[in-house]
Amino acid sequence: MKQFAEWLSTTFLSVFIQNHNSWAIPTIQSIHIVGIALVLGSVFMIDLRILGWAGTDQTLRQTTSRFGPWLTGALCLLLVTGVLMVIGEPVRELVTFSFWLKMLLVAVGTLIAVVFRITLRKREQQWEETLVTRRSTKLLAILTFLVWACIIILGRLIAYDHIWGSWSPATKS
Amino acid sequence: MDIGAFLKWLEASGLAARIRESLFLFPLLESTHVIGLALVFGTILIIDLRLLGLASTQRPFQRMASDILKWTWAAFAMTAVTGALMFITNAPVYYHNFFFRTKMLLLVLTGINMLVFELTAGRTIHGWDQAPSAPPAGKAVAALSLVMWIGIIFMGRLIGFTTSRAAVAPPPAAGVNFEDFLQGTPNSSGGTSTTPPPNK
Repeated sequence: MKQFAEWLSTTFLSVFIQNHNSWAIPTIQSIHIVGIALVLGSVFMIDLRILGWAGTDQTLRQTTSRFGPWLTGALCLLLVTGVLMVIGEPVRELVTFSFWLKMLLVAVGTLIAVVFRITLRKREQQWEETLVTRRSTKLLAILTFLVWACIIILGRLIAYDHIWGSWSPATKS
Repeated sequence: MDIGAFLKWLEASGLAARIRESLFLFPLLESTHVIGLALVFGTILIIDLRLLGLASTQRPFQRMASDILKWTWAAFAMTAVTGALMFITNAPVYYHNFFFRTKMLLLVLTGINMLVFELTAGRTIHGWDQAPSAPPAGKAVAALSLVMWIGIIFMGRLIGFTTSRAAVAPPPAAGVNFEDFLQGTPNSSGGTSTTPPPNK
């Protein structure tokens, strides 16, 4: 991985970002944060609806069709800006424990969203009438929010990977 | 007490020292700040798009506002507390930082913007509550709000690139372990301040 990261840092796009890093990196990171806000905001609104703490004048289907496309779009924006950050600073991103744990949780969070949308489409009535009132569903809503919150924390910890001590590949030179 | 002395006093406080000396507190404050601001911007965007007539146009505005804005304020409180705690660790540097000042100015302007809304479109709210969008004054407030909040996010990120972290966090020694976190932070004897990296 270290070799790959070092090779990536010699590619044209990477060199370009490195040469303009005074504005390129902060700009890409800021757009990434805007994307994070769209994802967390969308997940938050859907979870609040499931918990019955907001949006109860809307059906579950109405809520997901309002926020689902924003979630998908924002995830694409995060993927693009995220890939640009990896290309711009490959060693800083790829040679960290935080980054890979974050990627694992992103996979988990995305999987939950996909499964939720598919089952909601297939068994809409059951979701609206019974599933949404179940305690386990409400617990899953809270857990889902926590997964995305942990993703944000891990994203910030990429800059502080040494806190993982011996778990961080960055501390092994 | 003049502002310079006050900033120095904040920086010298026990709380600020505690945050600086910890390996974990500053990154966790930053993360919590990001979670808070994501909820602030995410929820404000929902309201602003409704005012502009671009989304949720079928829902009565007041119902949405009472549903959502309490969460916005809770999240804002979270960012204010975490922001203040980060500020005191290096108060004089942040205070003189251009991006920090611009961010604070923008925050004040979003407050004024909110006030303008209350004095204009907010007064006739019963007239357009069910309409797909707010009157022109409400739309202008919403558009300005979005621009300013995106600006606040950019300024916030730039602060991290233009200020050195005051923390005396030791350089990543191979001996530091995650397990140390559970037993408290490794002791970093405050005095020797090496040039710390910016919070990129």
